[in-house]
Amino acid sequence: MKFKWRYSFSGFLILLILGICLAAPILAPYDPNAIAVADAFSGPTAKNWMGADDLGRDSFSRILYGGRITILIAMAATLIALLIGTTWGLIAGVRRGWVDEFLMRTADATMAIPQILFALVCVSAVGASIISLPIVVGILLSPTTARMARSAVVTELSSDYVTAAIASGTKRSKLILSEVMPNIAPQLLVQLSINAAAAVMLEATLSFIGLGIQPPNASWGTLMLQGYAKIWNTYWFVFFPALAVTITILAFNAYGERIRVTMDSRRSSV
Amino acid sequence: MGVFLLRRAASSLSVLAMSVVLVFLSIRILPGDPVLAKLGAATEVTPEALVALREEAGLNRPLLVQLFSWIGDAFRGDLGVSYFSQFPVTQLVSERIPVTLEVTFFIIFIAVILALILAPLSTLKPGSIVDRVIGYSTSIGLSVPGFVIGIVLILIFSLTLQWLPSRGFIPISENLVENLKLMILPAVTGGLTATPYLVRYLRASMLEVKQSPFVRTAEGKGLSNVRVLFRHILPNSLVPTLTMLGLIVGYTLSGVVVIEYMYGLPGIGSLAIESAFKRDYAVIQGVALTIISFFILTTFVFDILCGIVDPRLRLAKGQKSEV
Repeated sequence: MKFKWRYSFSGFLILLILGICLAAPILAPYDPNAIAVADAFSGPTAKNWMGADDLGRDSFSRILYGGRITILIAMAATLIALLIGTTWGLIAGVRRGWVDEFLMRTADATMAIPQILFALVCVSAVGASIISLPIVVGILLSPTTARMARSAVVTELSSDYVTAAIASGTKRSKLILSEVMPNIAPQLLVQLSINAAAAVMLEATLSFIGLGIQPPNASWGTLMLQGYAKIWNTYWFVFFPALAVTITILAFNAYGERIRVTMDSRRSSV
Repeated sequence: MGVFLLRRAASSLSVLAMSVVLVFLSIRILPGDPVLAKLGAATEVTPEALVALREEAGLNRPLLVQLFSWIGDAFRGDLGVSYFSQFPVTQLVSERIPVTLEVTFFIIFIAVILALILAPLSTLKPGSIVDRVIGYSTSIGLSVPGFVIGIVLILIFSLTLQWLPSRGFIPISENLVENLKLMILPAVTGGLTATPYLVRYLRASMLEVKQSPFVRTAEGKGLSNVRVLFRHILPNSLVPTLTMLGLIVGYTLSGVVVIEYMYGLPGIGSLAIESAFKRDYAVIQGVALTIISFFILTTFVFDILCGIVDPRLRLAKGQKSEV
């Protein structure tokens, strides 16, 4: 069964979201921070078709620009998690022995610390910014990535071609980088997708409790916090950012799931 | 059993020790001087006063000494004092923890009930419309952040129908009915967040059990599908789900942070958030230690429970860790 990229709806959705966020300056009808008091708390109208917030700022424009921040943070965090996690898991999986034991115990211990709490500590110490948030979120996502990478590497190393490569005298570094890595790439891609979803969720959560992106800048989480505070005035204000976050997380999770299913069916058909 | 218990206890303790060290170190390594944070905006602080304060707080001692004295104090139930209110952290945490435990209890209760209804329903006829609807809803449920579920619930039940209050807390001792009314939305929010994990897990293990010979025998005896499902398959798939439940209790304890904040419940989660705003590291550290201990304790207890229920697990686990 061949994986048809073109027919992957979730993949298309991710591209669409990325495209919309990139093109925000072109697509947004208004300046996201332009205040128009006359439109305050407006519901969806022809003028502000996702409504306007308490200062009359256009919600649609704010969501487009907020998406840029959210997606940027999520992408950076995912990359950081991938780098740290893969290295971590790779070393554990290749070295084995006490190194493995130590690294994986550390992963267990890190996972026992509640994510939100750890993020609270970090963010309160260094402040929330577009630099610190990806690092914090990335670090939080790396232990799960490490576990995944380790188990993939361990399985891969037990396969016949690795034995053959070792027997033929291939250097270990070369074996890992040019043979094993490409083979675990699909699993990494699945993890990448799941991590992206988790990063969007974490950033939104942090911003929602007020410890993420600070006004006047706004990510989707910040928009939801502002909307939630005014939920008794107008529910449009909180509804659309919440919808945007949910759709994005769903798309990333579904994409990861899709690749995994394709991978599994391929493996079982071999 | 004794060996199994000891082994599990040792591994739990080692994870606990490591995460405690991690929490402690990360708070110390991060920039942001607790002493400066304590002084806050107070101006005209002389360098001498700073040194004195550091000395008083023991912050000029070597890191390892600080770590061990903190752990030693923690064992004696002393988690230090809040940098701001000067109240003992132990007191702050223990005042607030009943609320957190109450919400967590209701969350788990709702999640377990829902999972026990939905998972058998979807295994009754795999691939049927019911199964697929449940499958899609759990996939979506896994992707929706807890607070978004909360927002939707508030929009429906507080704003539109005006059935339930959306904020606040009244202690059980004051008014039981009002207390429970205020607990409904937070509990359902958390419950709906946790349910998809449980349903997925329980469904998978039920499908696995369904393949066993004893199920075929039961079917061969001519028992009805429903009876086979509830008397034979379900009890046998509960053991692996128990492990998962332990994890979920742990995750709920930390996920409850956001729920408490959003519904204005005065539990340890909102305590952590308030302290984070004030950079009150002593309190955050204390809350983190409490939640981590609860997390590790619940997973430990649930593992032991599994070992009691299913003796095979004791052996399998022990052998696995030796390989």
